[in-house]
Amino acid sequence: MRWLLFLGVFISLHAQNKQLLYGFTDVPQQMLLNPGAQIDYKGFIGVPLLSHIHFNAGVTGFSAFDVFADDGRDFNQKLQDVVYDMDAKDFFGFNQQLDIFSGGFKLKSSSEKAVFLSFGMYQESDVFFYFPKDYAVLALEGNYNNLDRRFNLGDLSVSAEVASVFHVGVNKKINPKWTVGLRAKVYSSIVHASSTENYGSFTTVEGTSNFLTHIIDLDMKLQTSGVSSIADSTATNQVDILKNRFLLGGNLGVGIDVGFTHQPSPEWTIDASLQDLGFIDYSKDVQNYEVSGYLEYEGIQSVFPQVTSGQTAQEYWDEVEEEFEDLFKVDSTTSAYIKWRPLKLNSSVSYNFGKKVNKECNCLDHSDPSFQNKVGVHLFALKRPNHLQWALSAFYYRKLFKGLQLKTTYTVDTYSSKNVGLGMSAALGPVQFYIMADNLLDYQNVAKSQSVSLQLGFNYIFKNNED
Amino acid sequence: MFTLQTNPSFIMNRINVFKRILLLFFSVLVSFSCVKDTDFDQSESLVLTPIIEVNLVEIQETAVAFLDDIGAEVFNITDLIIFDAFSSDFANENLLKAELVYEVTNSLNKAFEFKMDFYDHSNILQHTISFNIENSPTNIPLATEHTEVFDTTTLEALKASTSLDITLTLLSSPTGSVLTTTSKGAISLKSKGIFYLKLSE
Repeated sequence: MRWLLFLGVFISLHAQNKQLLYGFTDVPQQMLLNPGAQIDYKGFIGVPLLSHIHFNAGVTGFSAFDVFADDGRDFNQKLQDVVYDMDAKDFFGFNQQLDIFSGGFKLKSSSEKAVFLSFGMYQESDVFFYFPKDYAVLALEGNYNNLDRRFNLGDLSVSAEVASVFHVGVNKKINPKWTVGLRAKVYSSIVHASSTENYGSFTTVEGTSNFLTHIIDLDMKLQTSGVSSIADSTATNQVDILKNRFLLGGNLGVGIDVGFTHQPSPEWTIDASLQDLGFIDYSKDVQNYEVSGYLEYEGIQSVFPQVTSGQTAQEYWDEVEEEFEDLFKVDSTTSAYIKWRPLKLNSSVSYNFGKKVNKECNCLDHSDPSFQNKVGVHLFALKRPNHLQWALSAFYYRKLFKGLQLKTTYTVDTYSSKNVGLGMSAALGPVQFYIMADNLLDYQNVAKSQSVSLQLGFNYIFKNNED
Repeated sequence: MFTLQTNPSFIMNRINVFKRILLLFFSVLVSFSCVKDTDFDQSESLVLTPIIEVNLVEIQETAVAFLDDIGAEVFNITDLIIFDAFSSDFANENLLKAELVYEVTNSLNKAFEFKMDFYDHSNILQHTISFNIENSPTNIPLATEHTEVFDTTTLEALKASTSLDITLTLLSSPTGSVLTTTSKGAISLKSKGIFYLKLSE
């Protein structure tokens, strides 16, 4: 329980918002966020397993400090306050990505109308669940004093997945003002479980022939794939199964990313992308569980067998028990299902300024050698099962000196309204290293933080031959 | 097409430089980051105290229920229910207190004694609830309420119970009459349990 709560704070997903990486033109992994991004080098090779390590965690509605603060207040009272404060739209999430390999190169070396081909494979884990408010209130209060309150059993909404993704992207600079791009993806889902389409309720109302009537209405399901065969096999088999699924042996899906960059003038840049417009078809190793039914329960009717030759209270009770068993009976099926990938939108508008007259600095950036600064706003949106998650950032990007770029962001989103992030890319010769983290203000006391995000990686960059 | 720098010492040098940068970044991060003024051991005292309200038995009878084949009053009527919810592991671990609430409405001109006996699995009597129900000479519905609280020793008795024996015994009273097939009125009983739970780790 303690660890669950602790993880709830530390892990949990910041909605995969990579506001620091998006538009950070020096870092090749920005292409995964916008296949139509501007690319200013001949090619790159990501250091295997180290080119992109991403970890993102977030929670809305509370922070660990709210519950665990060492302030002498009763723990259960604090927990109650948090539960009453949160609603069913609050969520916990966790997202992690790891590049297995990645690379890219220019097909034509002339920088005008160049086509840049990039490819790679990454592994991704995603866990997401909404706060089941009514379950929590029921656990805290019970149904006593909650006559007529409809406890919504649909508040349960959970999903978890581990998948590997293979991708190939094409990026083309059509003219000095327009760059467009497309990335095709093949998803291989290793394990997946989701219970996001739950309906039902538990209500206690005033009864007619007895004090109360309990109404239980259930329509809940859990869909899983890749779980049952793992659970049933031996440890060595499990490794083989996982390896196979990792390499396109899992439940497959396809998707695309599209994006563009438009530069109406050297100072202004507008760009946008849509990521993961696709689906996975879960047909292998599927196991679904379903409970559905409706029951009104008024109590046991006593019928006194001496005077009535009908049923006894015992028989009546047995019948009720049977009805309850039927209601909660779990139906299991193996029918295939399809799930859409969480669709992501990124878009930004930025302004370049601060011309550096010093000729020596031309080597810093070849597309607009004279601008040292960039300011802009960035919008991120993500489609979640029950709602749209969004984030709005203001950013400032600065080339400090040869091979060192910095970007700082201020983000307002569902987690926080004062999220400051800092990213850095350093190149020493052809080897590049970048690291980005947000919610820096909260590092003063991580327990107060509602989200943490970190990305880092190493690349080997082939610069344009300008010398 | 590309000039790939493959000299191992060159790469090691670069990696060392990055190591230093990384170390610096994290040491800056860590020097500012800490978990202040928190006590995560508090969750060990997590206690949930929901109160659950559930219907129990209901009874609805008219005068004929208390007459035998030849139309004479019987001494009593009984019904037995095997009911293991009170003795379940869940109840044994988490039930802090229970209240059984009864409400009888009688419009028969006959007084009764209501009795509920709680027996354990060896058929040993653990607890008895009983209360009297007044007769209604003018067949106006008369309400009788009774609440039985189970705590400490009585709670232990409840947790041992696996069967309930319900008995309605006919009582004679100064204003009461003898029931016949044409007697007016009815008797009904509602009951519910209020269970105070304490769920802790």
